[in-house]
Parts: sequence; C-alpha cells; structure tokens
Amino acid sequence: MSPEEIKSTVRTHILAEFLPGEDPAALTDSTPLVSTGILDSIAVLGLVTYLESKFGITLEAHETDAQHLNTLTDIARLVQSKLSAA
Amino acid sequence: MEFELTEAQQALQDAAVRLARDELCDDMIQRDAERRFSREGWKKCAEFGVQGLPIPEEYGGSGADPITTIAVMEGLGYGGKDSGLIFSINAHLWTNSIPILKYGTDEQKRRYLPPLCDGSMIGANGVSEPDAGSDVFSMRTRVEKRRGEYVLNGAKIFVTNAPVADVFAVYGTMDPRLGPMGICAFMIEKGAPGLRLGKPMDKMGLRTSPMSELILEECVVPESARLGREGRGAEVFNCSMAWERACILASCVGVMRRQLEQCIQYARTRKQFNQPIGKFQSVANRIVDMKVRYETARLLIYKVGALMCQNRSADMDAAMAKLYVSDSFVKSSLDAVQIHGGSGYMTEMEVERDLRDSVGSMLYSGTSDIQRNIIARGLRI
Ligand SMILES: Cc1cc2nc3c(=O)[nH]c(=O)nc-3n(C[C@H](O)[C@H](O)[C@H](O)COP(=O)(O)OP(=O)(O)OC[C@H]3O[C@@H](n4cnc5c(N)ncnc54)[C@H](O)[C@@H]3O)c2cc1C
Repeated sequence: MSPEEIKSTVRTHILAEFLPGEDPAALTDSTPLVSTGILDSIAVLGLVTYLESKFGITLEAHETDAQHLNTLTDIARLVQSKLSAA
Repeated sequence: MEFELTEAQQALQDAAVRLARDELCDDMIQRDAERRFSREGWKKCAEFGVQGLPIPEEYGGSGADPITTIAVMEGLGYGGKDSGLIFSINAHLWTNSIPILKYGTDEQKRRYLPPLCDGSMIGANGVSEPDAGSDVFSMRTRVEKRRGEYVLNGAKIFVTNAPVADVFAVYGTMDPRLGPMGICAFMIEKGAPGLRLGKPMDKMGLRTSPMSELILEECVVPESARLGREGRGAEVFNCSMAWERACILASCVGVMRRQLEQCIQYARTRKQFNQPIGKFQSVANRIVDMKVRYETARLLIYKVGALMCQNRSADMDAAMAKLYVSDSFVKSSLDAVQIHGGSGYMTEMEVERDLRDSVGSMLYSGTSDIQRNIIARGLRI
C-alpha cells in the first residue's frame, strides 16, 4: 500500500471520528494532530486500535507518542514501516 | 421490537427474586450497621449461577446473553435488600471476570474463571488512586520491567472487595508520559510478595460491600500475570468499564421497582386527615414520577442489553443508561423516604438504606459528569 493510500484511508477516518463538520481541506498531511489536541490521549488509543485492525499491524507502546502519530505523514510512515517489515 | 423477556428469562428472573427475597435478606439492618459482608450470601449467589452468568460454560459459567444477565441482576435488586452484596458481585464480574475472559491467556482463563464462577474465589479491581480518579490514566503506580519480570510500586484506593478478595486486576504505568498507552494490567493473587491491603474504607452506603486501599511495594509478578498486551492495559480497563456501565445498574432498576411497590402500598394504607395519603396529589405525583423513572430506566438498560446481544457498539447507550438510571435511583430513593415521612428516615423501616446505597451509583464506574463527557464525545460535539 502506498503512503498516499494510507494517508487517504486514515484521513477519512480522522475526519469522521474526530473532526466531524470540519472542512476536509483543513486536514493536510502536515496538520499537527497530537500536539494541538485534535487527538487527545483517549483518541490516540482509539486511533492506534483502528490502525492495528485496519492495516493488520502491531504497534508498540513507544511507537504511539506524538513523535510517531502527530501528522498524517508521520502515521503513514509508521504504518508503512510496519507493513514492509511484515 | 420486543419488550418482554422470554419465558426462560422470566423464569430465571423470578427464581433470582426468590433467591434474593428468601436467602439474602437475613439480619440486614444489623449487617449494614456492622459493615458485614455475607460470604454465605456470596456462595448462595454462586450456587444459583450469578457469578458465572456471562462466562462461557467451558470456563464454569452458563454463557448467558447480556439481556438474561441483566434480567437476573434486576431480579436480585427487586427481591433483595443487600445492595452491598450485589454491588460486590457486580465489581467481581465486570472488572475482574470479564477482563480475564476478554483479554486473558488460555492459562489465565482456566486458572481463574472456574473458581470466580463457583464462588470459591472473589475478584477485585485496583485502578483508582488518590490523584487519579476520573483522570484514571494519569495513575502513578509504576511498572518496571526487570529481567523478564514486572515490579509494581504504588497505592490504589476505593478497591471494592479488597478485604475479601483472592485475586486483583491491578493497573500501573510503564511511563506516565505515554498516558493511556503506557498502562499495563495484571492479575495478582492475594499473598503475592509486595501486595498488601491498606486502610479499610468506610462508606455512606453499600456497607456490606467491603472496600480498602491496596498497596504495592516492590511487588514482583511474572510476565504470565500480565493481562493483555504490554502498554495496552487501557484497552482492558475500557472493556471492563463498558461492561460495568452497561450492567451494574440493572439491580438498581430492580430496587426502584421494589421502592415503587412499597410506596404505593404505603400511600394506600397510611392515613392522615382521614384519608390515605395517596389521595393527596403531592404524594401521588411523587409516586407517578417514580413510576416514570422506573419504566424509562428499565428501557434504557434493556436497550443496552439488546445492543450487546447483537454485538453492536453500546458505548453511548451504556453511558446514557448509567447517567439516567443513577440519577433516577437517587431521586426515587429520596422520594421513597419523603413518602414514608419520619418513619422513612428511621433505620427500622428499611427505606433510608436504599437512599444511602443509591448515591454511590453517581460516582462509581465513571461519575455522572464523565458519562456526560462520553455522550458528548459520542455526539462528536
Ligand atoms: C462505591 C464505590 C466503589 C468503587 N469501587 C472501585 C473499585 O473497585 N476500584 C477502583 O479502582 N475504584 C473504585 N471506585 C472509585 C471510582 O471509580 C472513582 O471514585 C471515580 O472514578 C471518581 O474518581 P474520584 O473519586 O477521584 O473523583 P474526581 O475524579 O476527583 O472527581 C471529583 C469531581 O470532579 C468531577 N470531574 C472530574 N473530572 C471531570 C471532567 N473531565 N469533566 C467533568 N467533571 C469532572 C467529577 O464528576 C466529580 O464530581 C469506587 C467508588 C465508589 C464510590
């Protein structure tokens, strides 16, 4: 799966779950999600569970911080590294 | 849409009412005053199958569906008076047995579930801390990994069943900076080195349900004691809360029905100004409000049960049920005291105890404010 496909899938999920009513254009590949509070800690838990079941990957606790999940680009990079390691 | 229990569910609920009425009410005023837990009552409930209701047969339960489970709990609340005992069973089921069932390894399930079902083991759940209540994932109990084992240090409060428990679901963090993603869950048995009970905690109500602090000092547990994945204890906790929110107030709905019937009876027979007090509109209206609350509460609880039976998400409905039923239970309990006048305030009448027992429902399993937050989140506000 290409980074663009991963970003598009996750973007749709984040818009529906965490940013309902927002202009989709406002969520760019580099919009900070964790550091701005768009995703609070409970939402991060939900997102991690979603990523694992959607992409069939396993994330470790240290991979679920802002450094790895802050933007769609970060998320796509993490997911892709997991997919290619599998 | 079907609003009736099946014949089999109704028969089981009737049997639960009889069990509670005939076997669980002994010496209630005294036991409440002495804060005495009934191990005999616990065993009788286990013999009936209460502790094994939602647990599959292969692990010693009966594999009842959520509606059947709710029906039995409602029956126990309606027939009985020992809300503390039923509360203890609820804590045992939803925050100990269910997480083991959903996240336990086969070995953990085989070790714990059969004795938790047959009443020979009692379960408890240690998550709350002095500085981590509603914001539970800010807990400070530390989990360190040393040579393949885990070492826990910290203190838990408000641990229902702790003084009588044999096995504890305990949560700690590997790194507070990770928030929910740093949490680990463990099953720790009574007598484990470094695990001890702290101060017993006395309560306003539910006094026959024992509670204490739980202290962990260099408590070393093997990797096999971990419940769920490392760093994913928040999922285990959320799962137990989802079940608890959905089912813990079913018995309270039963109590609301008992209160209603008792108040109708009292309003018909107690006379003032040469007429039954029920003829005064103020008294009748209070009973009408109790009836509407009871019916609404029941619908909400069973709707959650129906959603769970269909394996559909019930998070928001469970939060709505928890919020509404607890609020209604407190209001109806206060109305019951009011309707009984001065006698209702006296211990002997056994009306005031329900009021004391009811208040905790707005606090445990997430306070009413937290339920509102969950509903608002569900509405994506
Ligand atoms: C009878 C009983 C049994 C219990 N059994 C157990 C048990 O077995 N194991 C266990 O671990 N714990 C148990 N608890 C603890 C229970 O889970 C906590 O009491 C509960 O989560 C609230 O935490 P707190 O008491 O620290 O209150 P706080 O979190 O300090 O809340 C204080 C007030 O602030 C409000 N508040 C806090 N945060 C918010 C927010 N974000 N939005 C709006 N309002 C907010 C609350 O609603 C409340 O009114 C039990 C409690 C009771 C009463």
